[in-house]
Amino acid sequence: MEDDYFSLNAILADNHKLSCSFTLDVEGLGYLEGGTENNIHQHSKVELPFWLAQTLSLNEFTTFPLPPPYSNRVKAALKASAQSVILSNLVGNNGWWYRWGRRIADVLDDEPQADLLNTLLKAFTNRLPALQDLSAHHASADHTLPEGSTSSGEMFRDGMEGDERELFAIGQESGKLSKAWYDSEAGRKGR
Amino acid sequence: MALPKQLQNGLTPDELTFLAEEETVNIVPLFSMTKVRLLGGIYGPFVPPSATKVPLWLALSLKRKRKCRIVPPEWFSIDRIQALLKEERENAESFCLLPRRFIETSKVLLDVASDDLTQPSMLRSLLKDLREVRQAKIRIGLQSEGVMRGTYLQVTNLTPLELSELKPFLVKAMGIMQSLEPRRDDEDEDDNNNAVPGRDYDD
Repeated sequence: MEDDYFSLNAILADNHKLSCSFTLDVEGLGYLEGGTENNIHQHSKVELPFWLAQTLSLNEFTTFPLPPPYSNRVKAALKASAQSVILSNLVGNNGWWYRWGRRIADVLDDEPQADLLNTLLKAFTNRLPALQDLSAHHASADHTLPEGSTSSGEMFRDGMEGDERELFAIGQESGKLSKAWYDSEAGRKGR
Repeated sequence: MALPKQLQNGLTPDELTFLAEEETVNIVPLFSMTKVRLLGGIYGPFVPPSATKVPLWLALSLKRKRKCRIVPPEWFSIDRIQALLKEERENAESFCLLPRRFIETSKVLLDVASDDLTQPSMLRSLLKDLREVRQAKIRIGLQSEGVMRGTYLQVTNLTPLELSELKPFLVKAMGIMQSLEPRRDDEDEDDNNNAVPGRDYDD
């Protein structure tokens, strides 16, 4: 999961909206709030994209509570059954739950940072086996099953977030490649 | 990178097969010829009915033209593979050591020269069993503690072909895990935000 300057995913993940409150009055930026006011007042809440919120928060112009996708409620749900949490719902359909969480962790202090990262890591490792099974299985399975069936695998697949989806595609692709190789017949071309 | 996506992760099974065809194998030629100098070395002379050693690709090419019989490598017999399978089944913790190009070589031999092997269908099903046992072990390994901690996966004695199937997924998954790892070396955050923590784990 790279923070590469050229990584489109990293840029997109930075675009998640974060709800911040300003710690001081700002003149002339009232339009950020969407209202007609000219200035932003102290303590007013504004939804800012993360790339902006990060800079502002590091300079202590704004503060933010941990956003809902990483709240205690989600944490508890992940603890109960990581595989049945629908991460894609938490961060919008094309969101990056892990990436964004990591970016937020970068801004946090030591303790909440470690806490958040731990949550992310645990969630990922607990979801990995299901993800691996699904991607390996999907490579060889035929796709004649009716779409939107309610098996747990399908549910899990719908709940994947951006990086998991990418990982799924990678696993599926390499599975497909080796299956094609096993099924091919080297002898046929020469005869 | 400009390479197509499926080539970026390393060698494909087809490329590995190509490499496997550089290994030598014994053949019994069905024609007479003096020594022949190829780029890879000097092979021959071809005098039936005595055997001679040639690279696998040459053997396959001759076989396709019905100009030789391939003598299967000594590990490629029902007994040996049954023994391997047994060992593989009994030894749940690790993989048993296969010849490096085992899967590729056995596959092309079965495809091209099945009439030179004894009981090819039996061999085929044994190989399939072997593959399945190993795949199951890989699957269990992926859910093992080492992977869970994002540190390692036991792949000792896996052949390059099996690794090539596993690698893209594993590398990416491990990469994500390592980037989520709590920061150990606390970079004291400077007054500026341009120090990007976490760089140290990026691959």
